Amino acid sequence: MGEHATDEFGQHLTRRKFLALSAASAGAIGFAGLADSSAASASSAASTLRVGWTTPPDVMNPFTFTTTASNEILWLIYDTLMEYNLQLNPEPSLAATQTRSADGTSFTYQLRSGVSWHDGTPFSASDVKYTFDIMAKHNLGQAAWSLADFKSVTVVNPHKVIVQYKLPQAFDPSLAIPIVPEHVWSKLTPSKILSYNNPNPVGTGPYKFKKWVAGQYLQVDRNTKWWGTPPAVKSIIWNQYENSDVMVQSLASGQLDILTEVPPVLWNGLRGKPNVKPVEMDSFSFHHIGFNVSKNSKSRGNKLLLDKTVRQALGYALDRSQLVQLALAGHGVPGSVQLPPSFGKWQEKIPRAQQINNDPGKARKILDAAGYHVGSNGIRANKHGQPLSFRLIAIATTDEDVLAGQIFVKAAQAVGIKLTLETLDNTTLGNVVYNTNAPNWDIFIWGWDSGTPDPDYLLSVPLTSQIGNNNDVFYANPTYDSLYNKQATTTNPGERVALVHEIQKLFYDDAAYLVMWYQSKLQAYRTDTWKGWVPTRGGLIYNFTRDNYLKITPR
Amino acid sequence: MSLRYLAKKLATLAVTLYVTVSFNFLLFHVLPGSPVQLLARSGHFDAAARAQLVKLFGLNHPLIIQYFIYLKNMLHGDLGFSYVYRQPVTSVLGGAIGNTLLLVGTATLVTIIVGVWLGVMAASRAHSLTDATITITSLGLWSMPDFFTGMILIFICGVWTHVLPISGLVTPGLVTGTWGHYADIGRHLVLPALTLTLVNAAEFSLISRNTLVDVMVEDYMLTARAKGLSRRVIVWRHALRNATLPIVTATALYVGMILGGAIQVEAVFSWPGMGLLIYNAVVQRDYPVLEAGFLIFAVAVIATNFISDLLYQVLDPRVRRT
Repeated sequence: MGEHATDEFGQHLTRRKFLALSAASAGAIGFAGLADSSAASASSAASTLRVGWTTPPDVMNPFTFTTTASNEILWLIYDTLMEYNLQLNPEPSLAATQTRSADGTSFTYQLRSGVSWHDGTPFSASDVKYTFDIMAKHNLGQAAWSLADFKSVTVVNPHKVIVQYKLPQAFDPSLAIPIVPEHVWSKLTPSKILSYNNPNPVGTGPYKFKKWVAGQYLQVDRNTKWWGTPPAVKSIIWNQYENSDVMVQSLASGQLDILTEVPPVLWNGLRGKPNVKPVEMDSFSFHHIGFNVSKNSKSRGNKLLLDKTVRQALGYALDRSQLVQLALAGHGVPGSVQLPPSFGKWQEKIPRAQQINNDPGKARKILDAAGYHVGSNGIRANKHGQPLSFRLIAIATTDEDVLAGQIFVKAAQAVGIKLTLETLDNTTLGNVVYNTNAPNWDIFIWGWDSGTPDPDYLLSVPLTSQIGNNNDVFYANPTYDSLYNKQATTTNPGERVALVHEIQKLFYDDAAYLVMWYQSKLQAYRTDTWKGWVPTRGGLIYNFTRDNYLKITPR
Repeated sequence: MSLRYLAKKLATLAVTLYVTVSFNFLLFHVLPGSPVQLLARSGHFDAAARAQLVKLFGLNHPLIIQYFIYLKNMLHGDLGFSYVYRQPVTSVLGGAIGNTLLLVGTATLVTIIVGVWLGVMAASRAHSLTDATITITSLGLWSMPDFFTGMILIFICGVWTHVLPISGLVTPGLVTGTWGHYADIGRHLVLPALTLTLVNAAEFSLISRNTLVDVMVEDYMLTARAKGLSRRVIVWRHALRNATLPIVTATALYVGMILGGAIQVEAVFSWPGMGLLIYNAVVQRDYPVLEAGFLIFAVAVIATNFISDLLYQVLDPRVRRT
């Protein structure tokens, strides 16, 4: 689920599409007489929940999927031992109870009894053992990261397992690991598992896989034998749209019940529409400016960015509130540390007066003091005459990033730093930035979504060990690494919070990232079909909790 | 048509295909962006897991070896394994080709019939009000981008009147019999096919009108009229036959182009065809799907041109003699 937020709002309303749509509304003519049966289609509101999205799932393989969309579906088909409730607190799921040993290295799960797989085979502790073992031993897929310290899993009896780790675990990995049936997967070799597309997933979850019409829709049906309280929704259908305008129109006209992501302009347009409720919630995402701070001798980034003063000066030059107003149309919160406000108590609150934000005077002052003086061309240079002139890259299709880039160029110019903005497609930007052997770039604009509601994931990004993997700025700081390891193995919540605050402060002051904003999660649903939606940080759906799907009732 | 002529044509065809295939392979592999990097972007894949994926997709071999493996597999009918969908490319493409053929096939058929008919109407009443109306309307529609026409139709039929479905190929979750299923697809087909027809019919109406107008002033037309033949017989039997060559050429070019060119219409109506598949494959750097997709486009263009060459031979004795 964690991924670079290359396109946070799904498909954007490009100017061209917008013009086409408004022109269409101005110049249309009547077209009556043809009968419509689609409004009265099979997806009658009383039993089916119709979701619209522009982000298609990739595969239904719980080991290897990479998209948030696949995650959304698979988490209804498979159960995890522990799951997140609507408040995003961990609670027992396929496990009836969980107990953690005093030293935090061992977890005992009492499993629910009478549970069976969708194909009728009874579920037992050996399925849990198989899942943890295969994932950890062969480093299989998307959840293997959580098992880095895995030691062993022991079946005590068919309804009880003990999972042991080499180090104390602040984050319970069982929240991330979908339990798969041994009788299905043990037939495949580990390399076969990687390439398997799992056309008919079998889980223990509240919904059974029904049908996937590629490029069109995916349907799951209620598992009548599920161990939990039966949900009211009989079938869930996720409809794929290639075009956000058409998707939003389909919600407004009653062909959909809820949308996973709505672009800000279209979201504003939904306000006041009958029977439609647009909802704005905190997200687990941020967009940031990243500096190439690689100490690799082959790095072709501008070495002047290794000077913290230059990075901080760029931070002081930029007004985050202005960015939120202009680039996000107000749908977000000005950025500071690397944990968004949705993390609640985990987020370090930097007092306004101490923020590296919107103080061009201070930017000039610290640059002067560090010996960067303004030359005849208006650009500062160090005493060797090397100018503060940098390349800035952003993703062409992420409109808010491009706009932020333009604002950043102006802001930097005002303090005597020259930035040259270039936009790239999102794959190319990823490859330029993550060229670990010889990174040839200076500054980028990109974003992150957290992979978990636990702070661990976002804090792990700038680790030295993540260079070559997630670490997009090649930040390497032994103090950061040791603080991180300490918080990851501190199981006392109070102590861990203090450590998490300390680590954020350290990273904020080092200014390898300038977090621009924490964008809102914008969704919308119909009020005349289903009721009981509970707004949650991270979203009604398309979030870490599946509970809204399970708890809504027909109107 | 001599056997030698056919052999020569077929040889040219084979060489063109080989060059296209090799060029496709190279083109996509020199594009910046590694597909494994994309898969790994989820962040949870560590170096070891990534190395496994690289090996799985054969990306660990040097480019030249990958090329030979590609050629060998293709000769065995194996177009590779999609990086994104984890399925053989043939099955990924299979569905999309069917959907595109349904859309493009229907649209092309209607376009040609309507276009030629309008062209004949205009030509046989050349320089009249009918002619002017048909020509100007065709030109107007032709000059509209197809996504724009599509958006207008969506607004009219989907948002205002709800008369037709505006998105997708089928109604999600609809359970009916076989005929109900076809009817459902048919209803979804109307708007995208109509869009393509509205935009492209002009090409055929203008070509047939202009060729016909040229033919109509020929001496043998005067002769035909002098023999007392009706206008309908003169136009449809004598004039149109002589005007078919440019129409055949236009059709061949059109069919070749439109297979890949319906991207915009497919995107507007979320029609899961080739255009959309290729677009997404570019974004996701799904090389095997791209290579196979472009191979199919190339085959389509080459084949339709080959067929139109042969049709010339049948339609026009003068070509046979040269």
